[in-house]
Amino acid sequence: MTSETVNSAEPVRVARRRGIDGWRWAGRIFLTLLVGFTIMPMFWMVITSLKTGFAAMQYPPQWWPASPTLDNYWRLLDPNGSVGRDFLRYFWNSMFVSVATTVLAVLVAVPAAYAFSRFRFPGRNFLFFAILLRNMFPAVVFLVPLFILMRVLGLVNTHGSLILTYLTFGLPLAIWLLKGFYDNIPIQLEQAARIDGATRFQAFFHIVMPLSTPGIIATSIYSFIGAWNEYIYAYTFLTRHDQMTLPVGIQRFFSENATDWPGLMAATFLMSVPVVVLFLVLQKYFVRALTEGAVKH
Amino acid sequence: MAQVVLKDLVKTYGSVYAAKDVSLTVNDGEFVALVGPSGCGKTTTLNLVAGLIPITSGDIVIGDRIVNDLDPKDRDIAMVFQNYALYPQKTVFQNLAFPLMMRKLPKDEIDRKVREAAKVLDITHLLERKPRELSGGQQQRVALGRALVRDPAVFLMDEPLSNLDAKLRVQMRSEIKRFHQDLNATIIYVTHDQLEAVTMADKMAVMNGGLLQQYDTPANVFANPVNMFVASFVGSPAMSLVPLELSSSNGQSALTSAEGWSLPLSERNARKVAGASSNKVVLGARHSTINLHKTQMPGTVPARVYTVEPTGDITFVQAFLAGAIVNISLPPSVVVAPDEQVWLEFDQDRIHLFDGQTEMALRAD
Amino acid sequence: MSSVEKQAIFRDVPGFVPKRPSFGQKIWRSRADYLYVAPAILVMLVVIAYPIYYTIELSFFNTPASLSLADKQFNGIDNYVTILTSPVFWKVTWQTIVWTVLSTFFAFLLGLGAALALHREFVGRALLRGLLLIPWVISAVAASYVWKWLYHSDFGAIGAALVQLGITDRPINFIDNSTSALYSLIVVNVWKEFSFAMIMLMAGLQTVPDSLLRAAQVDGANPWQRFWHVTFPHLSGVSTVTILLLVVQNFNSFIIPFIMTGGGPVGSTQIWITHIYELAFLRQRWGVGAAYAVLLFIIMMTLGYFYVRALTRGDESRAGA
Ligand SMILES: Nc1ncnc2c1ncn2[C@@H]1O[C@H](COP(=O)(O)OP(=O)(O)OP(=O)(O)O)[C@@H](O)[C@H]1O
Ligand SMILES: [Mg+2]
Repeated sequence: MTSETVNSAEPVRVARRRGIDGWRWAGRIFLTLLVGFTIMPMFWMVITSLKTGFAAMQYPPQWWPASPTLDNYWRLLDPNGSVGRDFLRYFWNSMFVSVATTVLAVLVAVPAAYAFSRFRFPGRNFLFFAILLRNMFPAVVFLVPLFILMRVLGLVNTHGSLILTYLTFGLPLAIWLLKGFYDNIPIQLEQAARIDGATRFQAFFHIVMPLSTPGIIATSIYSFIGAWNEYIYAYTFLTRHDQMTLPVGIQRFFSENATDWPGLMAATFLMSVPVVVLFLVLQKYFVRALTEGAVKH
Repeated sequence: MAQVVLKDLVKTYGSVYAAKDVSLTVNDGEFVALVGPSGCGKTTTLNLVAGLIPITSGDIVIGDRIVNDLDPKDRDIAMVFQNYALYPQKTVFQNLAFPLMMRKLPKDEIDRKVREAAKVLDITHLLERKPRELSGGQQQRVALGRALVRDPAVFLMDEPLSNLDAKLRVQMRSEIKRFHQDLNATIIYVTHDQLEAVTMADKMAVMNGGLLQQYDTPANVFANPVNMFVASFVGSPAMSLVPLELSSSNGQSALTSAEGWSLPLSERNARKVAGASSNKVVLGARHSTINLHKTQMPGTVPARVYTVEPTGDITFVQAFLAGAIVNISLPPSVVVAPDEQVWLEFDQDRIHLFDGQTEMALRAD
Repeated sequence: MSSVEKQAIFRDVPGFVPKRPSFGQKIWRSRADYLYVAPAILVMLVVIAYPIYYTIELSFFNTPASLSLADKQFNGIDNYVTILTSPVFWKVTWQTIVWTVLSTFFAFLLGLGAALALHREFVGRALLRGLLLIPWVISAVAASYVWKWLYHSDFGAIGAALVQLGITDRPINFIDNSTSALYSLIVVNVWKEFSFAMIMLMAGLQTVPDSLLRAAQVDGANPWQRFWHVTFPHLSGVSTVTILLLVVQNFNSFIIPFIMTGGGPVGSTQIWITHIYELAFLRQRWGVGAAYAVLLFIIMMTLGYFYVRALTRGDESRAGA
């Protein structure tokens, strides 16, 4: 090719070869199907919750409710009706337990993660591994002994039993995520602060804490969601229904109204709202925590 | 301002010595450079003085206090870190204000002092920026400024210029030196660049493998290196070191090579080698003290040119001599080519002789 | 001068090794450090170490249904023998393996595809990522009820849709039928957790240095080659952790089978954890349940070893003071 054009003053313009866009199209199609698969159940949950019990029990189903109604939601949110009273109570129980767990988990995890990142004390590795290993075990293994333990501590049928238990599964991931954050904060920053006149604690408080805020937020989201969704312990430790949290409460609701699918769907919708909103608003912190801390190369 | 004394300072990590029996005195107002190759324990020594890591044994005196057990904040020091360590979430102003804030100074005084320091360092227009919005040189100034706003007894600086480009480095070098003169500050300055040490410091402390090798004025270290390590570390290009054998015939001492030539020694140099622990002696010579001849002359030894690097006003030549590489500098008028046979002449009054076994310098007395 | 000489000679003396502090001294010196981890350790001790000890003990006893501990009788390894000789054990174990392997495989595959598809910037990417993450965020109890309704044998939306699309004649009995129940639940499980794999792998993808990809592009690698030679090797660490976590999570699944089918029909969706739960809490066979838990413990410790190793790779190389 070039040998034929040696005399030509103009260099040959070679067309830029565009990569085949096959990969991009495959990605789009895949993503579309995946989104369909993901939202289909959520879509049906919402549709069903807008139907009357009669409309829900039809074959073939009404793909779009013929006469949509919010009655199911009003019933759940009415503090004067018996269903609403229970539901709102479960809701606040869940909120209390989840917030308390989150606050405690952060308070306990922050110093521990900091120590695991910064200090080299004997037994450090062993303790760190032991904590990480906690998440290897299913709740069922701990159920009987913890039930007995709670009996001894007088915590059966209290929210204290749940908060204490939830701490143990929130903590390992919290410590792991936060440690990743602290590992990424150069130790020289703290050293500089200490030379500038700060105590060890002040250096932590003024310099390290602000830099690890995204990690603390991510940790909080994780603890909150974990506590909000927990089922087995709540199911075992709580027998009084005024203490119940949402997952257990909803199950109770279902066992009493086995065919009230629209009511059940409305309840699952309301139960999902707080965690979904919380997560969507703060998801960037969660992704960042994983990227910067936990998942390095 | 105050003096700093290190007495038999030891720091171990497991079974590794990061600093071993380091003893030196930095007088009030002195600028001392701590030099040595990477990993020799410079940062460790500085961190020990700052109190950032616990000492294994020994004493540190700042002013008239033994500060071994004092927190960094109570030692009255300021430090500039190797990588600046600017607080990323704070603006330049807040970075400079932080040490004053920690000392609970009133707000208006903090403001005044920060602006004063910013003016000196010419960073007033950067005060509202965050560190990541600054260039390397600007960050450097801010790091210096954070040390400057206070009036500490001692300044510690850990390779503050190592991240800058060559031109900026030269400029900052003279600024730090000016700053030292204006404030009459006591400064301990870590660098692995011996040129920086020679040009800036009143005294230099050469370290290797956690050990202090030599502590003296740059001129003395340059003229009288105590051992082969210091000799080869200080000076650029490095001092050439040629391992030879000691021989003597008819009461005349000489250095002999395996190739057969021998270099008779002057009477003073003969007295030096008399103290050698074996017949292995290393000849040391700086590039400027070696003459190159194109023909054999009395007192010259044969060498072969290896590389030639013209730099404009000086041509640097490397040549093989008795299996070792020798650095020579020539005026540009002398032209040599690689692989050319040449003859080298050593200035007997300016050569260095080292014990081949202990690597220590041999002295006449 | 003389001290310098002494030092320089000193350097070469062999066997001059600093005295190492004893273990006790080290602990004493680090006493302040322990204060930071003490609260975490305390909580973990109470709620983990004690239950593990207790479970191991229980597994060697025959404990009455009332869980009255005073009346328990030592019966050696009888509980273990009972488990290993029971045909149910092998059926449940096989179902657990199918459940774990298929769930992990498909969750990872979908997660990887989603992470790659979402890696490039485009308008609405964050929204899409958020949408895909919803199943992972909501409660498994809620998800189980929603899917139970979708699978409903009379009024379920999926069955009806398949009929309307002409794919089947009659609505399929997804979970009331022992041949399809386990697979139907696996679909739910994959739906619930693929986005966990996605988010981990997305985080991993962000750590692939752009310069490497550009270098590969300059070297003439096509998109597939760039993925295979640069991106994929970079993801191996994250992938290991993700797969391990998925395996552990799936092996330990409880809520989806418990709520949706309760292990049925005829035990076809019984997996280890639901089986243990049934033995202990529904049939009060505490000893056998505990022995199961101990076996599980051993399996998990083995997985845990790899998990910890994958997680802490490179941890020691980071310096501290
Ligand atoms: N936290 C630590 N744990 C173990 N060994 C360490 C630690 N810090 C430093 N060392 C070791 O101590 C020795 C001295 O390190 P130091 O940081 O003082 O070197 P340096 O002279 O400052 O080097 P550079 O010029 O590269 O900064 C090195 O061998 C290093 O590996
Ligand atoms: Mg250093």
